Amino acid sequence: MAVVSTTTTTVAPHAVLDHIHPEPTSFVRRYIFSIDHKVIGIQYMITGLLFFVLAGLLAELIRIQLLHNDARFMSPEVYNGVYTMHGSAMVWMVIIPLVTGGFGNFVMPLQIGARDVAFPWLNLASFWMFPIAGVLLFGAFLVGAPDAGWTEYPPVSLQGPVGTNYWCVAIFLIGISSTLTGINFIVTILKMRAPGMTLTRMPLFVWAQLSTAALSMIATTALAAALLALFLERVFGIPFYDPTKGGSPILWQHMFWFYSHPAVYIMILPAFGIISEVLPTFARKPIFGYKMIAFSSVAIALVGFMVWAHHMFTSGLAPWLQLPFMILTMIVAIPTGIKIFSWMATLWGGSIELTPAMLFAIGFLITFTFGGITGVFLAAIPVDLHAHGTYFVVGHFHYVLYGGSVFGIFAGLYYWWPKITGRMMNERVGLWHFWLTFISFNCTFLPMHWLGLQGMPRRVATYLDSHDAVFWNQVASISSFVLAASTLLLFGNMAWSFYKGKRAGANPWGARTLEWMISSPPPYYNYKRVPAVLATPYDFGNPLPYIGLDSPEGTLPTPQLTAPPAPAPR
Amino acid sequence: MAQIVKPKPVNMGPGFWLITAILALLSVGAAAFWIIVPLPMGVEQAADTAVPTDILFKVLAVIGSALFIYVFGYIVYFAIVFRRPKNAPANTIGVQIHDAPVLEFWWTVIPAVIVLGLAIASVQLLNKIYYTAGDVLTMEAIGYQFGFQFRYPKLANPVSEMHIPVDTPVTVHVTARDVIHGFWIPEIRVKQDMVPGLINTVRFTPTKIGVYPIICTSYCGIAHGGMHSAVHIDSQQDFAKWFAAQQGGTAAAGGGSAAGAAIALSAGSVSAGQALFGQKCSACHSVGPFTQKIVGPGLGHIFDDPDHPKLVNGTAPSPQDIAMILKNGYQGDLGVMPSSQVNQISNTDIANLVAYLVSLSKK
Repeated sequence: MAVVSTTTTTVAPHAVLDHIHPEPTSFVRRYIFSIDHKVIGIQYMITGLLFFVLAGLLAELIRIQLLHNDARFMSPEVYNGVYTMHGSAMVWMVIIPLVTGGFGNFVMPLQIGARDVAFPWLNLASFWMFPIAGVLLFGAFLVGAPDAGWTEYPPVSLQGPVGTNYWCVAIFLIGISSTLTGINFIVTILKMRAPGMTLTRMPLFVWAQLSTAALSMIATTALAAALLALFLERVFGIPFYDPTKGGSPILWQHMFWFYSHPAVYIMILPAFGIISEVLPTFARKPIFGYKMIAFSSVAIALVGFMVWAHHMFTSGLAPWLQLPFMILTMIVAIPTGIKIFSWMATLWGGSIELTPAMLFAIGFLITFTFGGITGVFLAAIPVDLHAHGTYFVVGHFHYVLYGGSVFGIFAGLYYWWPKITGRMMNERVGLWHFWLTFISFNCTFLPMHWLGLQGMPRRVATYLDSHDAVFWNQVASISSFVLAASTLLLFGNMAWSFYKGKRAGANPWGARTLEWMISSPPPYYNYKRVPAVLATPYDFGNPLPYIGLDSPEGTLPTPQLTAPPAPAPR
Repeated sequence: MAQIVKPKPVNMGPGFWLITAILALLSVGAAAFWIIVPLPMGVEQAADTAVPTDILFKVLAVIGSALFIYVFGYIVYFAIVFRRPKNAPANTIGVQIHDAPVLEFWWTVIPAVIVLGLAIASVQLLNKIYYTAGDVLTMEAIGYQFGFQFRYPKLANPVSEMHIPVDTPVTVHVTARDVIHGFWIPEIRVKQDMVPGLINTVRFTPTKIGVYPIICTSYCGIAHGGMHSAVHIDSQQDFAKWFAAQQGGTAAAGGGSAAGAAIALSAGSVSAGQALFGQKCSACHSVGPFTQKIVGPGLGHIFDDPDHPKLVNGTAPSPQDIAMILKNGYQGDLGVMPSSQVNQISNTDIANLVAYLVSLSKK
């Protein structure tokens, strides 16, 4: 690559787009029904975090009930509704909208040098399905909440309260929203990158969003079909799943998991993307193994479509049919391992700054690795025949979804908050948030592994007190109260920063991806002139690889080349 | 291309090899722990199927512990030794290295080999769990909301207790009457879903006499958490005795008809019954009219509700009839009601409940 001098740049001829639409002036068009991807991204984040609080409170109710093995804190009806809504809301109303609709919308177009997504009006429609779906879902509490868990296996979900119909419609709606966002993002990423940004020069967060968008677009249709059939059976009695009328309960499981296993990757791949941005920035190093990380995202997305029946090892599949699913599931560990090792290698030899964002990224590496390892346990059929449907599984997927996706969301919030609001969060409070969260998270979910192995099934309002089950549940419950309280530090920090935080400037972290090259918060049209991209964004040792960039602050932040810290002699 | 600033002969960092050695020691320690510990999951082994499962668990735990110890150890170590010094400028850069093909090759190939090895080991051990030969006792387990029933050859009616003789190959065909239930015996390490319309099979040879829980692991409705039973692994003689007793008593065991002596109801306490109803019954029964169904019928006017089908031989139900249903359970057009043994209620509890139900009918 030729050395680029940012001072002698003339306008790159292909990068000039003079026509800029004026910003809408009315409040409603600007903040409510906006077609600006940044406003829509923020709307997703606010709505998603609101549902995060609600679904988190439901989790605390669950933990209060389980303080005792025969508790009467809630009746079984209420309890079953609470854990079902906790799971459904966390998956569909919190994590998926936050990582795709929230971070994807705000960050991805900025990172590829686009002025908006490909279909802004579609984006508006996608977003507004989300709060409607959320209100419908939580509205189910008024008519009798669905009670069969987020998986809603028939036939028991056919008996469920009328709120189960609300659940079907809400999830159907959020599924459509997710599919449309997927289409929108694929087109945006493939067609709207700044000149010179080849696929292998894209930031890794964009790669993650591309893989995720493909999953959302393809897999969600299977869920939509399954939900429609469940709704038709519940409301009109058309038998799809009821075995007494010729239906098959196993059909639902195949259709549901054909979506819901890829959904696990929809939830985690964008978090991988966030980690891949945070680590190089705060280690001042190129991401290690760029192509392998990008490739492994795609590999995980592909193999992710062929592993769904590992959720069904006890459902009565023929043994010969179980084996390929076991082997393919274990194979997912290989690209995931490549990512983990590459991130570790990114830390090596770095010039590491342990900001809250960086700490959550490092915490992510540790907890997600643990969740990944227990995932291989569950993939092994003999162990799964014991652990399936128990708290071992609950522990495992909270390590992956909380210790993975939610830690990724926290890292992303700390990282992009200055870009979103133009203000810095308080770092000391952020550090407290991290340490309290990291410790209480592990104390909450680690005991669940042996609780499950020793006989505690999922989705129970009461349980047998064998093998000290009450003691370990109390440990988990009390830690979960600390976990909830620690999250308040984040929200307090956000509120404080919004009014009182230090001004951030364009690039407070010294990062190199495109979104940091424009003011914080970015102007309505992002880039007055779309820059040309000359290299991958992570070469901290080189000048910035962008030309034709019209920085609002007049000059581009140019990294000063300083020698790496000399490792002390061994 | 960018000039890659290669570090001179790779200096991995201060104390890197010492840390690596410490992590190796920790990994060996963890491996030794998992190999020595007799019951890696902390659950007894009561059948042959538990052995291969525990072996595989140990293998996974050894590999998983080592992997986790190294990832955790290196991450913490890197985060500490490569911290930017407080006085260094913020744009101090790290070592500008993009990849290391040899390293990447090995960290792709080694996990691939491990994973394939695990897959092969799992298949081998699975053969010891999904075996087909040597069935001696073949029986059925049927799940319903919210209990288990067991059918044995030569027993006319299902029984609510599972007894199996030790050291005898057992085949259990599991299915369900209403919704999907789970059939899990932790000490035997087997689990199959009980799916209505499907018959799944569990095979094992019990090896240790004792009583172990059977737990429902698939959400099956309001009282899922309370759906457990017990498997009694008896000596051959005890099993024969139990089986003979069942054959003798089997004529009287079915369908909610009178079995055993009448229960003294006179001492029943309405308030104790009401409290117990809230705990044990309200999940499935309302205190509304008979047609107000949750899982079972509403019991508010059980003795004088015009919608009430005449329970016994066309006559209106007496308190003693209700007590017998509570005692023996019910199976028929209205669904399935577990017996007092499954519900874990005593005769005194039954008397209290009946007193409470009578008091409701009088209101």
